[in-house]
Order: sequence, then C-alpha cells, then structure tokens
Amino acid sequence: MVPDVPGATSTRSDGESPEPLGYELTDEYDMPAEVDATFRTLRRVAFGYFTVFLVVVAAVPVLTLALDWWSQGRLIGGMSPSFAMAAFGLYVFFFVLAIAAATLANAVEDRMLGGPERDQHEQRSTPL
Amino acid sequence: MITASIFGLVALLVVVLGLALVLRPRGPSTLDFYLAGRRVGVATNACAICGDYFSAASFLGVAAAVYVSGLDGIWYATGFAAGFIPVLLFVAAPLRRFGEFSIPDFLGRRLESDGTRLTAVTVVQLIILSYLVPQAVGSGITWELLVGHGIAGLSPYATGVLVTTAAITLIVALGGMRGTTWTQAVQFLLLLCAFIWLAIAVLGSGFNYAGAVDELSTGPLANPSVEDGEWRLETERDRIDGDEPATFGEPGARYGQLGQFALIITLIMGTAGLPHIMNRYFTSPTGIAARMTTVWVLGLAGVFYALAVLLGTAARSLIPEAAREHPWLAELTVDGVLRVPEHALLVLGRIYGDEVGLGFIATGALIAVMSTIAGLLLASAASWGHDVYERHLNPRASQRQAVWAGRSAVVLVAVVSAVVALTMRPDSLTALLPSIVATMVTWAFALAGSALTPVFMLTIWWRGTTAAGAVAGMATGTITAIGMIVAGTVLGADGLREMLLTPTVVAAPLAATVTVLVSRRTVTPPNLDRLWLKLHGTAADRQALRLARLTIAGIDEPSRGAAGNATKSRQR
Repeated sequence: MVPDVPGATSTRSDGESPEPLGYELTDEYDMPAEVDATFRTLRRVAFGYFTVFLVVVAAVPVLTLALDWWSQGRLIGGMSPSFAMAAFGLYVFFFVLAIAAATLANAVEDRMLGGPERDQHEQRSTPL
Repeated sequence: MITASIFGLVALLVVVLGLALVLRPRGPSTLDFYLAGRRVGVATNACAICGDYFSAASFLGVAAAVYVSGLDGIWYATGFAAGFIPVLLFVAAPLRRFGEFSIPDFLGRRLESDGTRLTAVTVVQLIILSYLVPQAVGSGITWELLVGHGIAGLSPYATGVLVTTAAITLIVALGGMRGTTWTQAVQFLLLLCAFIWLAIAVLGSGFNYAGAVDELSTGPLANPSVEDGEWRLETERDRIDGDEPATFGEPGARYGQLGQFALIITLIMGTAGLPHIMNRYFTSPTGIAARMTTVWVLGLAGVFYALAVLLGTAARSLIPEAAREHPWLAELTVDGVLRVPEHALLVLGRIYGDEVGLGFIATGALIAVMSTIAGLLLASAASWGHDVYERHLNPRASQRQAVWAGRSAVVLVAVVSAVVALTMRPDSLTALLPSIVATMVTWAFALAGSALTPVFMLTIWWRGTTAAGAVAGMATGTITAIGMIVAGTVLGADGLREMLLTPTVVAAPLAATVTVLVSRRTVTPPNLDRLWLKLHGTAADRQALRLARLTIAGIDEPSRGAAGNATKSRQR
C-alpha cells in the first residue's frame, strides 16, 4: 500500500505515468525527501567523475604543448606517448571510469531509495 | 562488377529484411512501433546503439581522418567514444525513468509545454537531416567503388544513394523499433567482424603498428589536392608550429591548439543530443538497464575505434608500396596517396582479400550506413508521427492511424535526404574538406551539442528550468551553431575557420546561459514535484524488478513441481 505522505507518488510498472498519491495501489513508492537527497548525491557523483574525465581528456593535447617528450618521445616499438594514449589508452580509461561511475550510482540509489518498502519486504520474509 | 560483393550485399539485404519481417510489430501499437515495447535487454540494446551510432563517419570516416591527418584525425574517434561518458553520467537513467517516446516528447512533458515540444521537433529534424545526408553520401561512395555500375541510366553514386535509402526505408517501415533493434545489433556484430578480419589480415602480414607510426612521423605529411585541374601532392602545414610541415604522429596537421579542444568538446557534447541514440534509451526496461547499457557501449566503442585508428594508420603506411604492385590503384592514388580518403579501408580490403575482401569491407560500409539511416528514420518518424501528429494534429488518432503516420514520415524523410545527397558531389567537396563524411557528421554533432544538450541537461538536473527558458536556449544554440558553421565555410583563415566549424564550445555555453537567464524570469511547471519524482525516483525500476522476480519465480515453481513429480514417478 502507498503510505499517506504528502507528495509521495506511486509508479506503474511500465513507467508510463505515475499517479498521484492514493490513486493506485502498489508497494513501490518514492518519498520526495529521499529522492531529493539521492538526486543531490548523484549530481555530486556525476560532476566529480565528469571533472576527472575532462581533466584527463584535456591533458592529452595540453601535455603536447608542455612536454616535448609527450609527443616526440618513443615508447617500446616507436609510438609516442601522445599517440598511444589517443589511439587506445583513452578508451581503456573511459571504460574503467564508466564501470566505476555506474557501480557507484547504482549503489547510491540502492541504499538511499526504497528503504521503507525494503524494510516491509524484509519483515514479511523474516521467518517467525 | 564484383560477384562476391554482390552476393554479400544480396545476402545482407535478405537477412535484415527477414529479421525485420519476423520481428515486426504484431499489432498496431505505437509503444511497439517506436519503442519495441520497452523490453530490450542490456546487451542487445548496447549492440543496437553501436549499430545505430557507428555510421559511415565511424566506419569509413575515422580511418579516413586518421589516414589524412594522422594524430589529429584520431580526435574524431576519441570524441565519438567520449560522448557516451556525459550520457552515462547525466542522461541515460533519468531519461529512461521519465519514460517518453522521444527527446521532444521528454522536453514537452517535463516542462509541460507544447511550444517546447514543437521547438524541439524542429531542432531534432535539422539534426536528423544533417546526419542523414552524409550517410547517404557514404552509401553512394561505397556503391561507386564496390559495384561501379548504375541502374536504369543512373550514375553509380546515385544508384548507391537510392538503393540503400529504399532498402532501409522498407525495413524500418515494416519492422518498427523491434525489427530495427535486432537488425542493428546484427549489423554491428558484422561491422565489428569486418574490422577484426581486416586487422588480423594486416597484422598477420607483418605490419608493425608502432613502427609504422614512428616511420610515418619522420617525414612531412602530404595529401593530394586539385590545382588547375590536376591532382598533385601538397605538404600539410603544421597549424601549431606555424610554417613547419605537419607530421603523421604529432598534432597540427588539421587543427591548431584551440581547434583540437573545439572539436572534442563538439563531439562530447553532441552525443547526448543525438535523437536516434537517445531514443534507444527509452527502449530499456529500467533506468539501471539504460545506465549499464551505456557501460557496454563504451567498452564496445573502445574496441571499435581502436581498430579504426589502427587500420587508418595501416592504410597510410601500406598503400604507397601496394600502389607499385597493383595497377588498379593508379586511378585512385596520386604518388601512392589516395585521392578520396574514405577509400582507405576498401582499398586495404582489396589488397588483403582481393575481390572477396573488398566485398566484405564494402558490405560493412553499407551496413554502417544502413543501420544508422534506420535509426535516424525511426527517430524522425517518432518525432513527426508521435510528437506532431498524435500530440497536435490528431490527438484522437487510433493506434493504427498513429503507426501509419510514423510509416509515412519514414518515407518522406528518406526521400528528402536522398534528394539532398544526390545534389552533392563528393569528389569536389573532398578537395575542400578532407574526410567529408566525418566532417559533415561533425556538423550534426555541433547542432545537437549546441541546441539540445545544454537544455536537455539543465532540464534533467536543474529544477528551475522553464519552458520559456528551454525554447530560448534551443533557439540560441541553433542560430549560433548554424551561423558559425556557415561563416566557417565562407571564411578562409585557418584558426578562425576551424573554430567556427566546431561551434559547440561557444554555442553551448551561450544556450545554457540564455536558458538559465530566461528561466529565472519565468515560472516552473505547477507539477514540478511530481515530475521530479518520476525523473529521479527509482520506484518504477524496483517495481519492474519485482515483477521480473515474481515472473521468474512463477516459471520456476511449476517447473520445479514438474521435476519433483517426475522424480517421484521414477522412484515409484
């Protein structure tokens, strides 16, 4: 059942259109205060990761101007660090960053939203 | 005419048409036609997004850009892949959770404004058209090299444009999103196979990647250009070090210091505003699935673009020597350097696999074109059919009428893009802009990143965004981006020109500023709290997961019961 809390909405399983409080009976609901806190946490996470992403991407051309070794030095085989980073290093970085960001965002949502329902479900499933 | 190529093409068309027919929507439902019933799994959707995203610009264009500009060309690949990081961090999950049909529908519902929806439809159509035309150009170029003959008196280029557009229009109109999803996923896997085969063939022949980069970087970089009607090699000037000649392994062949940043910001910002890619996120079952789909896309994109860069480098290194051994390369090259850079992979395919190899790579190029055209046509259909027809022209339309409106929109947009592509002459444009396909797609990214992405992100992450602010922001971004691109094509000065042709770095902040300023003076939607819960809450995700668990439990229970009964029978 949806609790009688101002501002809370229930959500249909197809995600089409959440009805206002009390219009539809379902176990799943979000509390406005919880959603707001989660939103702020996720925004901090997203901007933090985005800053790291921008710094690393911008560093590749910037280092070309700052360090001669970056574009003129040779790694094993003869490829410059700048070329190696642009040709495959950045893709590895993007993938690692994506896994870390997605894992953290999922964990934040899991811990901060759905608390009361989880408690209810746990109470129901606890053997007497 | 190359027999192997024709067989490859016919087999491909049969497979994708078969998939579209088998997986077509069974009833007249717009949810099925536009969004495949919102039941596309993570791996399938990731492959379909890759098929949608890796267009001719990625398959032919990235290798061509590396071939012609060396390190500066790699920034195309980096930017195309990097664009999914902002999508992952800021867009994927909330967009799916809000759960509409298209970007204009999302903006219209979130801001509770029909004006915003219609403004977004206009911007989306501009983006789709500027993305569709280079795909059609790519199909014409590929057909020209692959088949070399026209049909019914048409030139090979015109035949390629028309045949590809007609085939894809049929597939999309028949299959809708469900059929298109599976054909795009299969097409991506074929595309990846083409790259992997070519990379194995090149590396297996003894090609030393790092050594080739080193060797190419020792001399000046020169490319063919037409002067007084004659092709000749012209050394590229280093745009960072002034009058020094540019080299393959160092920046400066194409962009100055500011130009590199402008290009990468344009590509990074643009991805989040591409309608055909964002629409795919609405097909995920949950917000978490949409987020994890993006992680998969980033992994697959990394593999794909790393191979594209390797092959562009291999083409630059290997074709001069091959030109001495293969007489057929004479008419395609000037002193061992290709006249049209987009031919790089096709030529490598023919060198290593003869006609079959050329057929395989050319089929891959057409696959790239076809899967992207399919996504663009579907996005366009959703925009016209759902956002305009269903929402405004005929709100009481039956599902059957709405689906037919979408199908009609598919045909109309396909005809317009083919006509525009037929008026273009790729050879003459190549002399003006190296790697014309990648360049034209960059303009679509510029428009998306300037007009849609800033408004899109503010709408998701700032409660204060209003309908008036969004309309003003989209208008500002569109006008600024188009104005700068037009000015850039007219002006000749290098530094200013490259900046003007990648306008997002100026237009996006301007659009965001205007959105914020106008929003502060206007009123937010009355149901903002409810909209915010829908956008950032996870109740729908949890509900979907619970239903899935219950369904699985319901399936397992009878099967366990049946297994138990069978055991008991055996014991008896």
